[in-house]
Order: sequence, then structure tokens, then C-alpha cells
Amino acid sequence: MSKKIGVYICECGTNISDRIDIDSLIEEISSLEDVGVAKKYGLLCSPAGKKYLAEDIKKEELTHLVIGACSPREHEQTFMKVCLEAGLNPYLFQMVNIREQCAWMISDKEAATRLAIKYIRAGIKRVALHKSLEKIELESNPDVLVIGGGIAGIEASLSLAGPERKIYLVEKTDALGGMTNKFAQLLPHQGANLSIVKDKIEQVNNNEHIEVFTSTAVEDIHGFLGNFEISVTNQEKDSEKKEFKAGAVVVAIGFGLYDPKETPAFGYGDVENVINALEFETMISSGKIVLKNGKPPASVALIHCVGRKEKGYCSKTCCLYSIKFARYLKDKLPNVDVSEFYQDLCLPDKSDQNYFEEAKKKGIHFIQSDEIEIKDINDRIKVKYKSAEGKKEELSVDMAILAPAMVPSQDTPKMAEMLNLPLDETGFFKEAHEMLNPVATPIEGVFVVGCALGPKNIPDSIVQSQAAAGKILSTLIPGKKLEPEVKTAEIREEFCTGCQTCLSVCFYGVISFDEHKGISIVNEAICRGCGSCVGSCPSGAIKIKHFTYPQLYREVLEALR
Amino acid sequence: MEKEYTPQIIGFLCTWCSYTGADLAGVSRLQIPPSIRVIRLMCSGRIDPLFVTKAFISGSDGVMMMGCHPGDCHYQKGNYYTRRRYKTINSVFESLHLDTERIFLSWVSASEGVKYAHVTKEFSDKITGLGPNPVKKEIFL
Repeated sequence: MSKKIGVYICECGTNISDRIDIDSLIEEISSLEDVGVAKKYGLLCSPAGKKYLAEDIKKEELTHLVIGACSPREHEQTFMKVCLEAGLNPYLFQMVNIREQCAWMISDKEAATRLAIKYIRAGIKRVALHKSLEKIELESNPDVLVIGGGIAGIEASLSLAGPERKIYLVEKTDALGGMTNKFAQLLPHQGANLSIVKDKIEQVNNNEHIEVFTSTAVEDIHGFLGNFEISVTNQEKDSEKKEFKAGAVVVAIGFGLYDPKETPAFGYGDVENVINALEFETMISSGKIVLKNGKPPASVALIHCVGRKEKGYCSKTCCLYSIKFARYLKDKLPNVDVSEFYQDLCLPDKSDQNYFEEAKKKGIHFIQSDEIEIKDINDRIKVKYKSAEGKKEELSVDMAILAPAMVPSQDTPKMAEMLNLPLDETGFFKEAHEMLNPVATPIEGVFVVGCALGPKNIPDSIVQSQAAAGKILSTLIPGKKLEPEVKTAEIREEFCTGCQTCLSVCFYGVISFDEHKGISIVNEAICRGCGSCVGSCPSGAIKIKHFTYPQLYREVLEALR
Repeated sequence: MEKEYTPQIIGFLCTWCSYTGADLAGVSRLQIPPSIRVIRLMCSGRIDPLFVTKAFISGSDGVMMMGCHPGDCHYQKGNYYTRRRYKTINSVFESLHLDTERIFLSWVSASEGVKYAHVTKEFSDKITGLGPNPVKKEIFL
């Protein structure tokens, strides 16, 4: 079939016509091969302009379309829709930017016109090499797998569950609640106590749209957005295996604690009555604050920042819970002497400063210090430290409570491998973008929330769970099909040598290796179309639709002609 | 010499950052030399080293590669490949005694219209100073 390319130049009011000599442009390009019509129009993106264009495409029986107008970032989608209406495949269209990157950039009209001619000619020659591309639609499962039954996983499940969306909440221990189960109290200044967590667990258990698996490990996850296949095994019931499908995955596997034994200077495990924060929470729960000898302590040191230097980050929560402990101690044992040894105080939220000021008023000492060393001297604890003034000082106490850094959960590396997720230099999961896209990951449909992403408090974990839920709710709409990217990569079997270079280049895990055929395979349903693999292929076997070598070479050649 | 020499420069720009930054330069009515011809790609990671040689063979006097700032790639790390390929092209050019000064890599974000105008002008001036690419006459044409 012979080609008939239609070229339409938009005057854009006077935005383009004032700065480019459109008539001489049209004259210049109308004699090019396959150009059937070349016209100008006042404002193509207006309702009248779109109608005119659609009618003209049909009337002229155009096979290809070139529009010289604003940036494709502005109206490419608009005109692709017009193509669809007019029965022209929208990928047989090329939008040429002669406004932002031509008319508006070059004040000399003659020079701007010359450049516009080159751009339009490149567009015409490129479009002649375009191929029709068809949108595909994929069934998508609205259900969600939530991994981890701590506060973040609970909140994600509650936010997502509904009549048309089932949630599979998988928890490796035998109870929901996660780390909060080990806390005796939450930070009272945030107006919360542990009953809010219990309430939420009850809501989960009473929600018919949430299926809870406790003592269960996720064994395998395969697939992509809308179509994940999951298998889990129950660790108690003779490794009973279950399989189900979900459209999205929320990873909420929480955190672990830095082992203070890794830094012997803290004396943990060595010096009697040196305990960690969780052990103190257990003491609070029991109601008995006592030393090994059964007597209550007369003096307590709270050691912040245990492992901060070693891990290289602040754990955000330790200052506040150490203040919580100090206040608890003062209330419980009014005569106790409490000292907080901190490096820097982290009091970021609006009610934190006041909570700290109140603690100072209660007579709690705050000592900025460094180089902490805890020794057993004649059955008493001696805290040696370097003060803010740089002096070596020491303090004898009966008990020392260490606030260890929050570290990635021990399951993190395994989970990262299973889902093909990157970790950052701290060992926590890495965000798709730390600032702009903080709960998404490079894998579409997989989200990470809560302390699996890094240290944070309960409210921040809840915020992240709700954020991920919002993203999932707006993507996986029950009954709605997914429309994956059309401009995807494609591997030409006859050229692929099976070197697998592309597998390591693709950040989205889209490419796999077919052992039987000995070649790489692209999963077009999840390819994002960046084209990074194309340039990496040593045998030129990969092609990316709509940005092929011939199309781009032609564009380059014409732009230089 | 009848007229001042205007070089021909091909710029490969990713659509998410640099192309948007270039649009912004236009919206801000910043002046860009007419020597620049932009080829829009989805990601700078699409830039095959062959594009650069192809551009020179086709008569380009200079080639610009532009993408999102490191860490900001829309596709996570396409621009890291760009950076690596830029280095590769440079070493290949060096080994062939070709002029590496005619190849240019820059990170331009969607909000850096001013930077786009600045770097393109600077590069265009440099290429104007270097004169026409001798390679296209001597070797390729």
C-alpha cells in the first residue's frame, strides 16, 4: 500500500506563525516523498481544530500523520486520540516540536524557519518508518498480599480490604502485632496506648475480607502488577503449602535491633544490669523494676545511639523512647537518679519538644556525650564518657539501659532476592525515589512500607501503609483491565547469542533467560520501554518499538541534512 | 568566508528530564543557538554509542547526550548506563585519534531550563570555535 502522509502545521494562535514563516515551510516540505497534504491551521488543539483534523485524516485517507506544533509533552496524547477517532493507528503519527524548542528559542525568524524545516522533514521521514502498534489489555487481580503482621502490615490490610478486594496477610510469628507486642507502652504524648494496636488486630481478625496466615513464610512470588502468583507454607502444620494470586504486594517486614555485643565498649552481656530497651519494656510490663539482686535501682543511665556510628544512621525513635523510660522511672521510683547519655537529640515531631522539656523539669539529667564505655567496677556500673567540652568524665549507676539502632529485618535480603528489589547502603529496602516516591519500588505493584524501609515511629509507618494503599486502590480497580506500555523491547531470536547482558541491565527484571532456547525473553507486559537494554546488546538483537534504529537514524540524518 | 559558520549539533535528550528542561527554556524564551537539533528519547539509557558515531557520519559537528541527574532517572538507572557509554565512546574516540571534545554529556532536570540554555550555548560556542568536524570530510564522506 502506498503511503499518504499528512503534514499539519499549527499556528498556535500567533505563537508559531509570528516566529516561523509557515508558508515557506509548507512549500519546502510539500514536495517530499509520500507527502499527500501539507496544511496550516490556526489552533489544532482547539475543539474545532481536532474536529477538522479528524475529518481531514478520513477525507484525505491519510496513512501517516505529522503535526508540527507544541512539545509532544503538551499535546501528543491529544492528537493520538484524534488519530484513534479518525481510524488511524496513533503510532503512525509523529509530533514535531516547533514551538518550545524552535519558535520560542530562536528570535531570528529565518533561522527558526530553517530549523523548523529540518525538524518537520525529520518527522516526515521518521513517520514513514513507523509501524502500527496495538494496545494490549491484561486481566488484573485486585487482591493484595501483605507480608508482615506488624503495625504497618495491619494498617495496609485494613486500608485495602473490601468487598471486592481480598487481603492475604502473612505473618511469620504466631501472632499479629509485630514489635509492638514487645512494648509495654506507647509514647503517651501522642495520645496513644497499646489498646489501639489491640483494637486494630481485632479489626483485622473480624474483617471477612482479610485472610490471616500466622506462623507462615512466603516461599515464592512470581509475576507482575495485577498478576502475582504466591506460595506460602505454614511452619507449624507440617509445612502445609498454600497458593494464591494477587495483583499487588506490600512488604511490611519491619526491623531488627542492633546487637550491642558487636560493640564491646557498651558492656552488654558482660556487665551485670546492662540491659537493652526491649528487656526494659518487659520489666515495665511485669511492673517490677529491679536489679539482678532483686533491689530497685537507685540510679539509671540511659544510653542513646547504641550502634549509630557503626551503622551510620540515626534511628529516629530512640531519643523519645529513652525519655519515655526516664519519665516512667521517675514516676515509678521518685527518688531514682536518671541520666540520659545522648550524642544528638532527635525530637522531630510537633509534640516531642514539649515531652522533652517536661522530662527535664522532672529532674532527668541530659548529658551530651561521646565515646561511651561501660565497665563493671566493684559490682557497680561505671559509665565513662567524653563530655561535650571534650573532658573525660564518669558516672556510677546501678542500671544501664541501651537504646540500640534499628537494623533491617533478618528476612530483608531473602525478600529482596525473591522480589528483585534493591537495598540501599544501610541494608534497608531502597525507595523508588527517597523524596518523591517513597513507598514504591522499581517493581510495579510492589510496595515497601514501615520500618522495612528504615527506622521510623508508628505514626510514620501508618502514613506509609496508607500511602501504599492509596497507590494500590487507584491502580488495581476491580474489573478494570491494565494497559501495559506499548513501546516495549523485543528480542529477535535469530540474533540473540544468549550472553544475558540485558538481564543485568534491566532494572525491572523484565528479561529472563530461556534455558531451552538459549536466548533472552522480554516480558512485554511489564517492560517500561526505557530502551537501556537495546544499547547494551552486543549483537543488536533487541529492538524497542517506536524508537527503532532505522527510525532514529533517519531522524538524525534528516535533522542534519 | 561569506557567513559566520553555524555548526550542526545533535542532542539526544530523555523525555522526562532534559527534554522537559529544554521545553522550559523555550517557555522562558531563553535563546538557544539554531545549531542544536534535538532527538527525543524515552530515556538517555536508549543512547547507543552507535548513535554518536552515526551522527558524526551523517555530518554532525558535535553530539550532546543529556539525561536526568544521577539518582533521578525516571527508569531508575538508565542514566548510569549513559554515563558509562559516554566514557566508552570517549575512549574509543581517543584510540582512533578523533576529537572527544565534540561529545558532551550533561544532566539537565525538568526544572533546569536556564542550565539547558547555558550548556547548549557553551557547547555550541565551543564547536563553533573548533570549526567543522574534519572527520566527516576526511574519513566518512
